[in-house]
Amino acid sequence: MKTIKIAHLYYDLMNLYGEQGNILALKEAFKRQGVKTSIDKLTKDDKMDLAKYDIIYIGCGNESSQEIVRKDILKHKKSFTNIVKTKTIIATGNAWELFGKKINEKEALGIFDYSSVSSDNRIINEQINKVSFLDKPIIGFQNRGSVNNNTENDLFEVIKGTGNTEDVRVEGIKVNNFYGTYTIGPLLIRNPHLTDYIIKHILDENKIPYKEILNTPDYDAYNAFIKNFNIK
Amino acid sequence: MKQTLAILINKVLTLACKIAKPIFKKDGSVTPGYYATKLDKDILNKLKYPKYIIGITGSSGKGSTTSLVAHILENNGYKVIWNKNGSNLYNAAATLILNHTNPFTKRIRADVLLLELDESFIKTIFNKVKLTHLVITNVTRDQPARNGHPDIIFNKIKNSIDGNTHIIINADDPIVNRMRITHNGLITTYGVGKSKTDIKVPLSDNVDAAYCPICESKLKYSTIHYGHVGIYKCPSCDFARGKVDYEAKDIDLEKQFMTINKAIVHLNKNVYFAVYYTLAAFALTSVMGLDEVSIQHELNDNVLVSKRLKNYRLGKRKVEMVESKNENCLSYLQTINFIREQKGLKTIIMGFDNVSRRYELNDLSWLYDVDFELLNDKTIDKIFCIGRFRYDVYNRLIYANIDKDKLVLVDNELDIIKIVKNNSKGNIYTMVCFDMTAVIKKLLMEDAHENN
Repeated sequence: MKTIKIAHLYYDLMNLYGEQGNILALKEAFKRQGVKTSIDKLTKDDKMDLAKYDIIYIGCGNESSQEIVRKDILKHKKSFTNIVKTKTIIATGNAWELFGKKINEKEALGIFDYSSVSSDNRIINEQINKVSFLDKPIIGFQNRGSVNNNTENDLFEVIKGTGNTEDVRVEGIKVNNFYGTYTIGPLLIRNPHLTDYIIKHILDENKIPYKEILNTPDYDAYNAFIKNFNIK
Repeated sequence: MKQTLAILINKVLTLACKIAKPIFKKDGSVTPGYYATKLDKDILNKLKYPKYIIGITGSSGKGSTTSLVAHILENNGYKVIWNKNGSNLYNAAATLILNHTNPFTKRIRADVLLLELDESFIKTIFNKVKLTHLVITNVTRDQPARNGHPDIIFNKIKNSIDGNTHIIINADDPIVNRMRITHNGLITTYGVGKSKTDIKVPLSDNVDAAYCPICESKLKYSTIHYGHVGIYKCPSCDFARGKVDYEAKDIDLEKQFMTINKAIVHLNKNVYFAVYYTLAAFALTSVMGLDEVSIQHELNDNVLVSKRLKNYRLGKRKVEMVESKNENCLSYLQTINFIREQKGLKTIIMGFDNVSRRYELNDLSWLYDVDFELLNDKTIDKIFCIGRFRYDVYNRLIYANIDKDKLVLVDNELDIIKIVKNNSKGNIYTMVCFDMTAVIKKLLMEDAHENN
């Protein structure tokens, strides 16, 4: 059976808020489906053959780490442009800013039209978001020092918390299988229904049957949180 | 006149708080300073300070360092004013300082003003009057919902001082060591040499400051003490931990001794972080001019009794309430290591109702920055998960590959003692939040009462 290949990009720079949890979540979700995964950790100055991966993940970094990555990732602009329509890419925290045109007026990958700038104040919030392709809300946390002017293909409608800027109620981007969000930390552990949605698509593409498994500690934790905080 | 009044108000309110403490349950360490500085917001800049104005800051270890420094200095004849109760924010510092200030001469009655300082408040307290000495213990992930991230904490510390402050820094921490790049005052460094508990590669991907702040090359570590703290150098430029002025080596936690340069010193706790606070206190008091023998006397003979949390018993089993700091993954790691190092079978109670006592935000990201994988140890019999976030804690432990059979979810914390008693073995270690600590203490007392 096919092994699902996951690339954890800039694992030692974009690793600020428990982001390694997202890799654990993906690995475990495939394991429950009886599917093997391989994980490659790649970082600055590494060669990146991105086309060989099924999933590419980048987490959140502090501003100076993001700047180191911004300079390095430009070397891979062509590769990202080639794969962005076909591969699953997940960018959490300020990582999704790297895929826009500019970050603080400096060149980014330019795959999408948005740009990001530093915000006057740090934005720190609990988030509750709605997503068009799932019934249940997405829970999470933001801790960021920037805002983003994306106006199309929003990933989330914000129920509680902050949008791309403090004035809008939408957040992130989803184009094909690119998921970008300011949510930090173990988003995919805390939202197992989102993880299952993502892996189901990859299994479908590989003609591997998907089984719905809801009795996991991830779902128990999600359901307990929803109940404790009376989230509708 | 306004200053005299502010100082007097501070003193009167402190006395009033002391008298009313049984009613309001507040110790008056904060409120008087709040009102006094409201009356004259610039008052802290108008006082006559002692020769030594010392700050101790960092993400962890500042309280322990401060009390050890106070112990050494006081026993060497210095009159020291210091924040014994650990209140380290602006109003608390103002209360303390003004309570020791003559309202008429504005002179602070001490040889040394020694303050454990929250990183965010150094600049607010000392915006004109500058610290003569500042010890920086470490800069790590700590309460991100309040502090953002370590770079922000570092910049706050850096921007709080100028070349007039003599900094005493932990060079093992590459974030703290960045001070060497910009600080144009005196710098003294301390660090720990290679020791037997060190590791070669990081336990996980949660390491900060992996890259050189000057040339952005990946730092190379010859040894890692824990987290990002160790002996490192940049392969491309001269940024390095390098040789330090005060180095601890030959650490023996069991016998509670180590060597600093050539001096043998006692550790008042058998935990790794005692190495760092003892080393920091030794370095600071040395640069102040105390001789090695006098410092050694206060560490080795006239030992400061460490503040230990009270040990309880559950039948014949010892119960130790271990301090565990939510949202500080490296502090949490040291608690895990401490439990691992204890002899015999162990039972752990873990959990929290609220992530923080300072704010209502419940960011759970830090759970995935703590290396819970280390609890995968055959001497651990059971781990009981309690509190409002018990399912998240349980899930984290499952992801850390801890055997499911060792994990127990406790829905009603009032049952915890009964469940632990009947379903686990070995000494009991609690790693719980402040509210859970109170519940467990009460239950243990009730159990002891019923069984006596």
